[in-house]
Amino acid sequence: MRRRLAPYALILPGGLWLAIFFVVPMVVMLSFSLMQGDVVNGFSLTWHWQNYSEALSDYDDQLIRSLVYGVIATAACIVLAYPVAYWIAFRGGARKTTFLFLLLLPFFVSFVLRTFSWKFLLADDGIVLSPLKHAGLLPQDFHVIATGFAVVAGLTYNYLPFMVLPIYVALERVDPKMIEAAQDLYASPAQAFARVVFPLSLPGVFAGVLMTFVPVSADYVNATVLGGTNNTMIGNIIQNLYLVNNDYPQAAALSFTLMAILLIGIFLYARALGTEDVLEVATR
Amino acid sequence: MNTNPALLRGMTGRRDALRLFGLAGAGLGLAACGVKGQKAAPPKQNDVQKYWAGKTKKGHLNFANWTLYIDKNRTPLKEFTRQTGITVTYREVISDDPQWFGKIAPQLQAGQSIGYDLMVVTNGLEFTKLVELGYLVPLDHSQMPNFTKNVGAAYKQESFDKGNVYSVPYATGLTGIAYDPSKTGREITSIQDLWDPKFKGKVGMMSDVQEIGNFGMFAVGIDPEKSTPDDWKKAGAKLQEQKDKGIVRKYYENDYIDALSRGDVWLTMAWSGDIFQQNLNEGSNLKFVIPKEGATIWTDNMMIPKTADNPVDALMMMDFFYRPEIAANLAEFINYVTPVPAAKDVIAADAAKATGSKKKTLESVASSPLVFPTDADYARLRHYRSLTPAEEKDYTAVFQHITAG
Amino acid sequence: MTDTKEAGTPVGADLAAIELNGVKKTFHAHGDAVAAVKGIDVSIGEGEFFSLLGPSGCGKTTTMRMIAGFDEPTEGEVFLHGRNVVGVPPNKRDVNMVFQSYALFPHMSVFENVAFGLRRKGVAKSEVARRVGEMLEIVDLKGREKRRPRELSGGQQQRVALARALVNRPRALLLDEPLGALDLKLRQAMQVELKRIQREVGITFVYVTHDQNEALTMSDRIAVMNDGRIEQLGTPREIYERPATTFVAGFIGTSNVLSGTVARAGAGRAVIEPGLGERIVVPCTAAPGEEIELTVRPEKIDVRSDPPAGDGCALRGTVTEVVYLGMFTNYNVTTSTGAEVVVFVQNVSSADDVATRGDSVWLSWDPRHSYVIGA
Repeated sequence: MRRRLAPYALILPGGLWLAIFFVVPMVVMLSFSLMQGDVVNGFSLTWHWQNYSEALSDYDDQLIRSLVYGVIATAACIVLAYPVAYWIAFRGGARKTTFLFLLLLPFFVSFVLRTFSWKFLLADDGIVLSPLKHAGLLPQDFHVIATGFAVVAGLTYNYLPFMVLPIYVALERVDPKMIEAAQDLYASPAQAFARVVFPLSLPGVFAGVLMTFVPVSADYVNATVLGGTNNTMIGNIIQNLYLVNNDYPQAAALSFTLMAILLIGIFLYARALGTEDVLEVATR
Repeated sequence: MNTNPALLRGMTGRRDALRLFGLAGAGLGLAACGVKGQKAAPPKQNDVQKYWAGKTKKGHLNFANWTLYIDKNRTPLKEFTRQTGITVTYREVISDDPQWFGKIAPQLQAGQSIGYDLMVVTNGLEFTKLVELGYLVPLDHSQMPNFTKNVGAAYKQESFDKGNVYSVPYATGLTGIAYDPSKTGREITSIQDLWDPKFKGKVGMMSDVQEIGNFGMFAVGIDPEKSTPDDWKKAGAKLQEQKDKGIVRKYYENDYIDALSRGDVWLTMAWSGDIFQQNLNEGSNLKFVIPKEGATIWTDNMMIPKTADNPVDALMMMDFFYRPEIAANLAEFINYVTPVPAAKDVIAADAAKATGSKKKTLESVASSPLVFPTDADYARLRHYRSLTPAEEKDYTAVFQHITAG
Repeated sequence: MTDTKEAGTPVGADLAAIELNGVKKTFHAHGDAVAAVKGIDVSIGEGEFFSLLGPSGCGKTTTMRMIAGFDEPTEGEVFLHGRNVVGVPPNKRDVNMVFQSYALFPHMSVFENVAFGLRRKGVAKSEVARRVGEMLEIVDLKGREKRRPRELSGGQQQRVALARALVNRPRALLLDEPLGALDLKLRQAMQVELKRIQREVGITFVYVTHDQNEALTMSDRIAVMNDGRIEQLGTPREIYERPATTFVAGFIGTSNVLSGTVARAGAGRAVIEPGLGERIVVPCTAAPGEEIELTVRPEKIDVRSDPPAGDGCALRGTVTEVVYLGMFTNYNVTTSTGAEVVVFVQNVSSADDVATRGDSVWLSWDPRHSYVIGA
């Protein structure tokens, strides 16, 4: 009997942790999303489903913008991360761990701090733009900070390792013999990559996309620090609704709406990619 | 609101930093606080007596204030301890009104001590909520001789707390326009300058809905303190136009000061003390103006939460700040408007005694319209409009639509 | 690529399928130069089943990789049907390889795996389907086209790997320890199978293995490699019965190595006389006084209690171990000279063992089975 219970005992600490700090707040938030009222008069559960439709109609712009930024930043992450991961996996040699460590080194510095440093680096009259403007290479009113580009660039930079690592892990597992086999079977190096290496690394790309797209879409730091007037993301709205407006029902409804959109998106993405297959290859 | 230290400024706006990290905590606090509201009835005279009856001095006090809102040596507090024997634990834990409210509301609702007997909150939505929820102690003016004697007349009649039932001012500031004359190339005198297409992409506005709403109303010739929901819409349209034309660079929290000193913006909505401090500390040449259409005046207020353990000591501390020499000391350091007019003479006397750069600084403080506004200035200053929760929702909807584009 | 491969260089009847000319390969790692192949000359004929046999690290795999194009020789030339292919990348060489771990593409079906090479060569769709179908029939995998490699048994995966290479009709098929991952029974079955397929398709097979049984069973010729060189090149029978070096003798099967000084010589024979009535007769040209080494296979030796008659080989010894092995019995005998000799005696009758542990015995064999080493 004791032996049978042992495996359950193993999941108990983690399970309890999740139950207390994830499930309970989720239920609380869910009930908030169906309440009406304000912080002075109190909130009451009236099954006010309109919170959801209002959240959607009031903040559709920011919601769409967040998803668009998420898609662009995620795509940029793939483009930047793949060659790096490939190089480390296949050319890194004995120093693979060193390279990975170097890649992660900036992330020992606070994420907020790094993002703030961009503001100084890329200020309108700062050390990067000022010389270029003086040299006449850029128009005087050119600026990077407070643009959508800056937000997407910040997102890309901040989430890059979350893309590199899973792709690296997937590529690491590709047997170099597989590449030789492809070349032996008349594939050029490019074809060997396209037909064999890339498909085999897809589970890593899939994991990378999950690990970047979801947090990127819900991010609010980059828009706060690097954005301008029309770069507000849905994370900023939710934060504002909670902390500034104290409009908890609306904030909760919006959070759940975002969650639902992301879950549906992931589900469709997994279906389109044939995740079952992809994941099976990954676990082989 | 308070001075914005150079050190913090280098890294982050104080609001930013705390908001970034505070979200998760607020969520959990919320779960604990439940969902009940408790609207309180206005206090009657015997409520004051009822509360203070039997309360005695305990010899200690916990004081929550904003960052860098007193001099480094804590001179007023040391003086207080020396004269009364009451020790003070002083913590600069407040950096943002909504955050602070979010933190203490659950404890106050549960009737638990928040760990502080005295705190400083700006007049505004959170202050109104604290009053309406009955979270503040009605003050016993009979125990506040210095206040009664020294407070400026204007500070007794503030709309958010007429007659100082719950609060007395700690310091006051103005929201006006700050600019870098070397960039704008001309004097800025009017709110309309914030709408000038010549400054396209170089104008900073505040993201705080009350602040930006006030400026929108000034721009369309409305006194914000007396504004109606229709006025808000008019102001909103005006602000929307400013945004659509690409004039606004960004809606700032309190990081506008960095953007201004870096040259990212040339003119911006600003708080008076920040600019004075920035010039003093960095030797910059920024200017602050009260636009001819008007500007807002806000007040950071001292108050006692209803669960305070040492209310008598807190009340004594409050009153102590109304001694002219103490008020002067505070103003010399923080450079915001002091509610004690008599402090001006004290500062002038200090300046006469001082030498060198110290003398110059003190002279500029004494003569600064930002610390001691003239009557003409006062005539152009408007207060925040107090909003009921229902109004707040409408008001916020109008202006947040702009700032959270 | 398609043109050069399918049409290729005109093949003369006398042209070797593969020819290695003074091929050397040195690897550089951490500043050290490691010579993996130290000079190989070999010519492999059209349609031949040729094995490279040797222990791990002998250079056999490197040799094969140089034929396939994965490694380039440091020195020397590699000819495929008379065309020097040094510098030609693997995808442009008309040879295919079966990898040790098969290296099947896990994300493709059996059909797609087999069709991979044809598709890269631009073979027409219908032609691809036909040839893949044919090949799957040959390797007995008809009906499993849609399976993924992981859904197949080891033997089936092996046959997919084989089909994937053979379907391209390469000039030569290179097999790198292809049966290494299979269990004994399957391995033996696959040996027969491989031989059958080779006969059927008539393609040159170059087979790398460390398993002497495999090499002996399947090969037309074997090159025994050691330390980057070929020790002996010959038919399985030559290699087995007349090992050219001590290494080959030791590596191929069980072999007894004896040595001694030649006492008498003449008529193409040398005789060593270790003791009274003892003699080892070796067909060779060694002169008296010369020190020689020779080998005798265990199954060629007889064990008896009396000294043998005639002028055959005779050696005295003591039995140290007797192991009954069913078909034959294994005797370990220490000879009078101190050499350890293994003898297999066939169990033709159900009679008792001819000797037991501790017995003094005579060993005898026909001089034709004595092979001098290094002659």
